[in-house]
This record gives sequence, structure tokens and C-alpha cells, in this order.
Amino acid sequence: MNRLRVLKLGWEFPPLINGGLGVACLGLSQALSKHVNLTVVVPKSSPDTTFDSFSLRGLNQLAIDEISAAENQYQYESFAQTRRIPIFLNPYEITDSIPAPIPHSETTTTCPTTFSKTTRSQLDTFKIGDLYGPDLGSKVIEFSKIAAKIALLEEFDLIHAHDWMTFLAGVEVKKATGKPLVVHVHALQYDRSGAADRGWIYDIEKYGMEQADAVIPVSRYTGEIIANHYAIDPQKIHPVHNGADPVATFATRKKFPEKLVLFLGRLTSQKGPEFFLETAARVIAQNPNVRFVVAGTGEKLRPLIETGAFHGLGGHFHFTGFLNKEKVHDLLSMTDVYCMPSVSEPFGLSALEAAQFGIPAVISKQSGVAEVLKGALLADYWDVELMAQHINNLLTDSHLRAHVVEQAQLDIAASTWDAAAAKVLTIYQKISC
Amino acid sequence: MPDVCLYFQVHQPHRLLPYDFFRIGENATHEDVAMNAAILDKVAEKCYLPANRMFQQLIEQNHGRFRMAMSISGTLIEQLQHHRPDVLESFQKLVASGGVELLAETYYHSLAFVHSNKEFDRQVEMHLQLLEEVFSVRPRVFRNTELIYNDAIAAKAETMGFDGVIAEGVDSNLNGQSPNFLYRAPQTARIKSLLRNSRLSDDLSFRFSDPTWSEYPLTPEKFASWLAQSGGDVVNLFMDYENIGEHQWEETGIFEFWKAMPAAVDDAGLQWVTPSEGVDLYRASREYSSRYLTSWADTERDLTAWMGNVMQQEAIAKVHRLEHEILAVNDPALTHTWAKMQTSDHFYWMSTKGGTDGSVHTYFTPYPSPYDAYIYFMNVLADLQIRLRRAQDEKPPGS
Repeated sequence: MNRLRVLKLGWEFPPLINGGLGVACLGLSQALSKHVNLTVVVPKSSPDTTFDSFSLRGLNQLAIDEISAAENQYQYESFAQTRRIPIFLNPYEITDSIPAPIPHSETTTTCPTTFSKTTRSQLDTFKIGDLYGPDLGSKVIEFSKIAAKIALLEEFDLIHAHDWMTFLAGVEVKKATGKPLVVHVHALQYDRSGAADRGWIYDIEKYGMEQADAVIPVSRYTGEIIANHYAIDPQKIHPVHNGADPVATFATRKKFPEKLVLFLGRLTSQKGPEFFLETAARVIAQNPNVRFVVAGTGEKLRPLIETGAFHGLGGHFHFTGFLNKEKVHDLLSMTDVYCMPSVSEPFGLSALEAAQFGIPAVISKQSGVAEVLKGALLADYWDVELMAQHINNLLTDSHLRAHVVEQAQLDIAASTWDAAAAKVLTIYQKISC
Repeated sequence: MPDVCLYFQVHQPHRLLPYDFFRIGENATHEDVAMNAAILDKVAEKCYLPANRMFQQLIEQNHGRFRMAMSISGTLIEQLQHHRPDVLESFQKLVASGGVELLAETYYHSLAFVHSNKEFDRQVEMHLQLLEEVFSVRPRVFRNTELIYNDAIAAKAETMGFDGVIAEGVDSNLNGQSPNFLYRAPQTARIKSLLRNSRLSDDLSFRFSDPTWSEYPLTPEKFASWLAQSGGDVVNLFMDYENIGEHQWEETGIFEFWKAMPAAVDDAGLQWVTPSEGVDLYRASREYSSRYLTSWADTERDLTAWMGNVMQQEAIAKVHRLEHEILAVNDPALTHTWAKMQTSDHFYWMSTKGGTDGSVHTYFTPYPSPYDAYIYFMNVLADLQIRLRRAQDEKPPGS
């Protein structure tokens, strides 16, 4: 059987990563490359990193003549539809005459706009700056134009785009080549900004998923949001859980006698750090021999510090700031309970990582990883009473703790990227025939 | 014309390390020994040594006519003993000249009075003992940390046996009266309050080096004429010693200014007095009542520089809450570590005030932000509590 040829469009890619998206893209790419021929196109790749099993192309390393052959070959559809209406409006001119009605024209023409030629300076924008900087919008648009040009010069059977930053590119490539499009959803604007946010990112997400032949959310939880909040046909939504790469785990003896409960993640409203603080206040009120640690940084850090002080939690509620991988592992190696009170978490890879360290987890019901960690104790993110009760139980009931940890070991064993890749492969096969 | 009373505050805190979560329980030092030493060296070179030398000369040249007072915190004396005995010696020499009166304060430059009567007594007693040992003097006038003052502090200082107490002359308490008199606090019999003349003091400690000030550059002659015109019995010029050479560098001409001051005061027909001389010379016929706590810090002249936000309030309350348990263990090293955390600077650095006051807070802080100051402090406090528990386990109560 011929191997499928897949063009993957990603945004961040190890070692240049900001969050879980890059980690997941790499894990899935490596597992998929055992079965398909894979080219991954990203805006920025590290010049020092190459992968044996698939080819990684960063626009930051692209030379302008590599895509010159594709110039003028294709009309850029998503953004370039201009309609001309014969009307003259001048707000400052006062006339007595009633303007003539605008003739209704059935034959409004779509002006064909060819690709604007890619310039060296456009390519250079991918060499500098933050992938999620203030020019994110223009980067997304430039990426989609250039990726479409690269696609015209590549041979492949299927497009696989990861998250909204690459959806426009995915749709463009589909339109240019007619190949089927799979979009992979790691996180939605719904998660980051709440249900009320329906700005241009929401629009791009919806457009991308509408144009796609299959949508892969990282959990059933996210799949439901895609169906209900974005009105996408449930028939083409196929959830695939992330895998977790095995890590070398170890245990460290704490320097203090108290139990340790950990929150790990960006301090943004999506991650629910204030619910962690409310939970901590309730646990500490019952059991002062517990330390709560917030590892990470973000716009909620300062308000959180002040709220903690207001509650008088200082000395029991600690902030580490941003930690590198090594420090995170140090912290996990001494943690007794992992708590993830996310308001909306498509997956939550860090809970799997914690489980690898043998840490039982208390997770919000609004988290995809809850579908994987079947033994984890669940509560609504706002239900801080129940969350506190779960933490107290895990700290005091050794049977419960052992049960949760045992179940987690089984769940981790099943959570491999190979298993994820196998599911993705069946989706590929379904839409490419 | 009023006499001129000059008093300098001399203080350095023990700054804490950027003490992160991973250090809690490790049982090592909390203090940034290297940074404390470096700052002490810097201030010694820029201020303490040259200023001591200058005032020593002025005292000798003026044959006793030029006199002043100093209050040196216990935490600074301790740092000098460990790290710069040569600088301590220069202070000892200065005091031995007879021209410098020392004042009493809390050993740890703390807000103990606000939180614990008992701890306040303990710290004042410690400071008196230290002055006895190091300088062989017993002060007659008390000054509380950062001139924190109210009627109760005046009464307290009286029962402790002091003849005078120093305070900020706060406009709302003065009610239009001049700060240049000695005052009586309500509910006191004989103690006299000396009030800082904030305008003339701040002319020297802040505005002196400000080129945009309308009176810039200030000459000793001009300033002496202002003193002469200011009226009353005693004009009190109270400020930080570090203003000479450290907060205001030598290039501002601050040393030249002070060198010429005794002669200028002489020429204006004024005399220098120390606080206790002022207390002996003048009657306190008027009442100065301060129901609320005041201080010489920030525009508010209240406690908000140290207790204005929730981080400061929590940190300071939690330190003082340990008092009973710490003292019960009776471990001198542990008690000392705990008491050093009461030093007001720790809370000053946690201030989130903006504006001019905010930039003064920022000038002094060793940390990137008030939030970091709070985090490090609370981590140290957590560590201290672990040490306390270990000490309690080793020494069960009643043994």
C-alpha cells in the first residue's frame, strides 16, 4: 500500500515552544511518521534541530527563490474577494436632488486578485520576534499566503492544520490544491476568553472548521464546544486524546514536613488560579499542615498575590514564578496532590505529567484530560468546596490515594502518541478515499 | 531667635535573599550577606566615614558650640561590628568628642510599638544596653522608628524614664501652631515632645539637590537666615544621616554646605542645642495632641508606608503573631532572626504606592518589585516557622 503523503501546518514546534501545542505537534508527528510521509510547515523552526522521520520547514529558514516558482499561480481567495458597487457617496456635499437608485446588478464581479508577491521582508518577519507577539494577526495572514505557495510546489494527499493560526493556511491550500483538509483543535477562543468572545479569532476558527473535511478536537469536551458553540456538523468531529511522552520520574524528600498541593500553568483566567486560591483557603482552614504552590506566571499573578495576602494565606500559599522544565520536575517530585481547576481546558497535558510522577489529581470537570484520567477526582471549576474536600480526602485517606494513583498508572499506559496516531490515521483514510 | 537642634537617623536593615520556595526548610541563612556588606561598604565610603570626619572637625573647631544628635539603630551597629569595625570606631570617636548626643530607639528599627507593648519594651531595653556597651552612654531622649508617634507613645516614653520624645510636626495636629516649641502630650506629667520642622528639614534632605527648586542653590547663609526668621524656641532639623553623601552625592555640594553651616549659624546669632539641652532649657507650655499614629514618611505622614496594602498588613501581622511562641522557646539565635524580620524596611519595600512617594520606596528597595519583596519575605517566614517547630520539638514546653 502506498503511504499517504501528509502536509502538516503547525505554529510552534520544539524546541521553540510557548505551551502545549508544540509538544503535542511533535509527539503526534513522530508517531504519525511511522505510517505516513510527513512534511511539517511552521513559521519558525530552530536551525539546529532536524528530525529523521519527517521533514520540518520553518518559514524563517526559507529562501525567497524557493517559492518564486509558485508566484502568480493561484488567486488568494479568503481575503481577496473585492466587490465593486457603482455608488458615489460624499457626506459633505449638500444637494437637493434625490440620488438615483443604485442599479441592482446580478453580475457583480469578483475581482481576481493574484497572490501578492512574497517579499524578503515578509519572510524576515518570521525570523524575529515572538510567535504570539503584537503582530500575530499579520503573521497568521503572511503564513497562510506563503504556506499555500509552498504547498503548490509539494506533492501530498492531505492537509492537517493545527489550531486557528494555521486554519487560514489550511483552507488556502485546500482551495489551491483540492486536497482534503483536517483541522486539529488544541484550544479554542472559547477556552481562552470565554463564551462571549466572538471576535475575529472565533471567526477564523469557525471558518476553518466549516471548510475542513474532518475536525479533530483533543477531547470529547472540546468536541462538544465545537458542535454546540461553533455549530459544526457533529458528524465530522472525531476527538483524539493527546498522548504523553514518558519522562524519567523521581521522588525528592521535601525539606519541610507539610504536604504539598501544586498548581502548574499560566496564571490566566482560563486556568482558574483564583479557584485554586479559594480552595487552598478552605483546606488550610481545616488542615494547616499543607502548603499550596502556584508555579507559573501571567497577568493574574499580582492580583492573586494580593488576594492571598488579604485571605492571610501567605506562608502557606507560595508563588514560584516561571519555572524551567528541570525545576518543574523538581517540584513534581515532591508534590502530594496535583490540582487543575481550569475554567475550560481542552486537554491538560500537565495532569498526565503529574500522573507519571505518581501524583493523584483533582481536576475540573471542564477539562479534557478528565476523560483520560478516569480515577482523578472531579469537581466543577467553581465548586471550591468540593475541590477542597477532594484534596483533604487525598491527603488523609491513603486507600483513596492509592486507588487514584493506581488507576492513573493504567490510564497513562494507554495514553501514547502511537494510540493517538492510529486514530488519526483512520480519520485520514476515511476522508481521503 | 530659636536655637537650632540637629538630629540624624543612622540605620541599615538586614536585607533578605531572593528567597524562593525551594529554599524553605533548608536551614541556612535568610540574609543576603554579600549585598548587605556591599551596601554597607558603599554607604560607609560615601557617607559615614567622610561625614563623621567632617562633623568631628566641626565639633573640634567650634570648641563645643556646634553640637548635634544621632540615633543609630541596633541592626546597623551590629552590621558595623561584624563587617566594618573601623566605621564603628569612627562613630565611637565622634560620640566621645562630647558634641554628639545619642538617642534611644527600638534595637531593630521596628514597628513593635504598634503591635506589641512587650516586644517594644524588650527592643528599647536591648538598644539601651547596646549603647551602654558600645558608646558608654545612656540617652535621655527617645525617638521611635521613623518618628512613629502618638499620645500613647509619649506617655509610654515617660514611664520608661525619658525626658524627651521626638515626633514629626504634623500640620493637622499643630493646628497652625509652630513646631518650633517644646510641647506637652496629653496624659503626661513632665516629658517634652520635640517636633520636627518638616519644611526646613526637607529643604536640606530633599530639595537641597533639586536644580528645579526655586531656592536652588541653597547657601548656608540663606538657610541660616531662614532659621533665624522661623521663630519659636528651638527649630528641629531631623533627617537621615545618609542624606549627606549617599542620597545626595558629594557632587551636590552637600559636604561644603554642612562645613559652612556652624559658622553661618553663628553669624546669624543662633546657637546649637541637642535634644536633651532643648528639653532642659525650654518649658513645654503648650499641648500637642496626636490621637492617631503619625510618622515622618511619605506625604501622608502616617503608617501607610509600611502598612498601607494587604501584603504589608499580612506580613507584619504574621511576624508579630509569632512573638509568644518564639520567646517561649528561649533560643537567642532564633529570637534574633525573628526580631530582625520586624525591621520596618522589609514592609517599606512591599509598598505599592505610586507618585513621588512610590519612587522613594523604589529607590531603597533591593528587589525587582514590592510583590517579590512580599514573596521572599513570606517564604522566609515559612522557613522561620519550620525552625520554630523544630526548636519546640527539641525543647518541649515545661522542660
